[in-house]
Amino acid sequence: MSIHGKTMLPYIVRKVFEIQHKLYQQQIRACSTGRLQEALKIEEEQEFPKINEIKQPEESSFYYPVDKKFKHDPDIGEQFSYSQLRVRLAGPHQLQPKPEADDLQFGKLFTDHMFKVAYHKRLGGWQVPEIMPLENLVLHPAAKVLHYAVELFEGMKAFRGVDGRIRLFRPEMNMARMNASAQRSGLPTFEPEEFVKCISRLVSIDQEWVPHTESASLYIRPTLIGIEPTLGVASSESALLYTILSPVGGYFAGNSGTSTGVSLLADPQYTRSWPGGVGDRKMGSNYAPTIHVQKEASKQGFQQVLWLYGDDHQLTEVGTMNIFVLLINDRGERELVTPPLNGLILPGIVRHSILNLAREWNQVKVTERKITMAEVKKLVYENRVLEMFGAGTACVVSPIERIFYMNENLLIPTMENSDAVWRTMRNTLLDIQYGRVKHPWAIEID
Amino acid sequence: MIMNIGAVRQSRGLLGYIFTTSMRSTNAMQSNKKFSTTTSTSTTSSTSKDNELIKKSVFISQSYDIFTNLAIEDWIYRNYDLKNHHILMLWVNNPCVVIGRHQNPFSEANVFGLKSAGIELARRNSGGGTVYHDRNNLNCTFFTPRDRYDRKYNLNLISRAIYREYGIDTEISERDDILLHGKKVSGTAAKLGHPNAYHHCTLLVDCNKNNLKSALTRNEKEEIISKATASVRSPIKNLADVNKNVNVQQLLTAIGYEFLRTPADKLCDGGRELVMQQRGFQLINPTEKWFPGLNELRENLNSWEWKYGKTPKFTVSTTIELKTNDECHNSMKVCVDVEKGIIQKIDLILKGSSEVMPIVSSLIGQPYDENNFEKIVNALKSVSTENVKSVYENGL
Repeated sequence: MSIHGKTMLPYIVRKVFEIQHKLYQQQIRACSTGRLQEALKIEEEQEFPKINEIKQPEESSFYYPVDKKFKHDPDIGEQFSYSQLRVRLAGPHQLQPKPEADDLQFGKLFTDHMFKVAYHKRLGGWQVPEIMPLENLVLHPAAKVLHYAVELFEGMKAFRGVDGRIRLFRPEMNMARMNASAQRSGLPTFEPEEFVKCISRLVSIDQEWVPHTESASLYIRPTLIGIEPTLGVASSESALLYTILSPVGGYFAGNSGTSTGVSLLADPQYTRSWPGGVGDRKMGSNYAPTIHVQKEASKQGFQQVLWLYGDDHQLTEVGTMNIFVLLINDRGERELVTPPLNGLILPGIVRHSILNLAREWNQVKVTERKITMAEVKKLVYENRVLEMFGAGTACVVSPIERIFYMNENLLIPTMENSDAVWRTMRNTLLDIQYGRVKHPWAIEID
Repeated sequence: MIMNIGAVRQSRGLLGYIFTTSMRSTNAMQSNKKFSTTTSTSTTSSTSKDNELIKKSVFISQSYDIFTNLAIEDWIYRNYDLKNHHILMLWVNNPCVVIGRHQNPFSEANVFGLKSAGIELARRNSGGGTVYHDRNNLNCTFFTPRDRYDRKYNLNLISRAIYREYGIDTEISERDDILLHGKKVSGTAAKLGHPNAYHHCTLLVDCNKNNLKSALTRNEKEEIISKATASVRSPIKNLADVNKNVNVQQLLTAIGYEFLRTPADKLCDGGRELVMQQRGFQLINPTEKWFPGLNELRENLNSWEWKYGKTPKFTVSTTIELKTNDECHNSMKVCVDVEKGIIQKIDLILKGSSEVMPIVSSLIGQPYDENNFEKIVNALKSVSTENVKSVYENGL
């Protein structure tokens, strides 16, 4: 039981003296509200609802099967392949002028081309894939996507490396996740490798939309929608798989978003996902209900929402990112904690990468387990929370500075460490993505 | 002109991987060296299999500023990896005069006059002669690795495009000009470096010939002796002279498609099949934030030191007729030596005499231009012959 070779005892004694008064105050508050008392209860045993089979992911395996060839439904029909791909390049008059690089806000501007492939069960399955100049979609008003949100999407990025080569970051994982979402939505699945090749071609054509600096990237948005024009709540027999690209500078408007931490609103009245639901799939229907909540948070001056679940206010996700907490545990060790993939959590690719890196690094204990607001609050009072950060494709790592929970501001000292884990993670991932380090996770597209 | 050479730092990082961090080097050669382990090294001879891998892009510049366009041309030349990627850049400028790297602007145009007319003067990086650009002139730059540099291929490609689109027959002369009915519609220049090279040329679509003529006119009375590259003046023609439908927008589309449908190693038609495999057309916004390092290149190109300071040493002289009291006409020659764009000395030589008389003037050490020269000449004109003669005879 030691931190950097020193024994725990003097540390514990000092900490106890420091926070004694805080503990006392906490006791008083606990007595005043029954509900709060319940929330502050810290369980000995880590029990959480076992709805799905909880797979403790091994170092290399992902939540969804990545390595094995994907097993499609038997009646899916033909698959599309990259060799069938037809390309219609935009002529000079169809090109969008490029704005000032500063004006590249997330998701506002799109590139000149898009990828589309249709699926019709009646016509044998997947049709011929095509790349063409960006154009509007034409849908029948009864198209299922418009009524029952039969839609799923992915988010990934392409980076222009320091050597000028374009790289994708672990695209096979997005493909696996997308196929799993498709199955759950009654939409057709596809061959992951073929789709990645088509995406690579699209990125290659529009790669000049990425500024030649070292902080810009191309956000890739593959989308699958059900377009069958019938109102029955059933599998869509027709679908459209398309991809659009958006050049991005930093994620949060203006700067890179990591010079200051973000502030979160944690309100237990809102639930993002629930056992037996689709919180672990990237479906559009998960996001629409969060918009209002985000608006509420912004009105109150907070940047993101911290999603809680259950009577014990488990931390699940922050905004559209997975959450990590670096704390000092009861044994005095530094522990990196993130909620487990129990069905409530979207299995993030950055999340998975960080867990792998942290385990390889072996400087902190890495645990995937439930963590509640009560625990966080207690640890904050004891100065045992070192860092908290969100992890996602859009901004890689987003440090958290403050959480507003039950009328109280919890200050997290994430930005105060010079040797921070979040910074190391972010820099390592960026180095891999931009080709500063040769790593199998970053795949060159040419 | 210069670029930060990247410093390479190696350290054991998070996972024991060797980190190679570097400043973003704007030298293409540097980047190729550092990361060549991951890519196959290019062979000097190109096989047809290699050529299948070559993807072509057509970059269309969003800027009409000559200095910005010359800067982005330089940026691409220095920074892009062209091993499997050939680029054709198409650009148009606001009215300007562009001289070759080793030319004397004062031999080619009335520099002071250009300034007053609001026409920019630029010195490009490649050699060759002087051209006048305006919005009805199309510039084409072909970027390739040095070993695949081929001027004839490029010019023939343009010729094919013009024929395919408009049915106009052009020929390529020995001097690499594109000729229409024997007159020039295009001028060519190139820069060969390591590992990249480029060949650029102009195309007169519907240029204003009067403006061209007056921009490229200088005072013939001023005789210039220098070792600078002299332009070879030729009669010119616009493509629109033979076909009124020719315009820049349509022409650049035609040349772009011809570039994309032609295989890199052969002048034949690959058709839509081949176009489909290319990277296609791209608009480029040549600003610092899109291309870090661009501003420095542009500032250099627009600096006095580059435009005028790089002028090879020259002497400009003119003959002044002297009026004497005794109706005896005499003349003197005034010579101004200019080096690095600065007036070094002013000499006076009386006709019939071999003596050279230096003039003291506040203009020595000042930048040369025609206006300054005129001032010197006018000042000397007001001095009567008698004075001059007496100075000669009696000494100073």
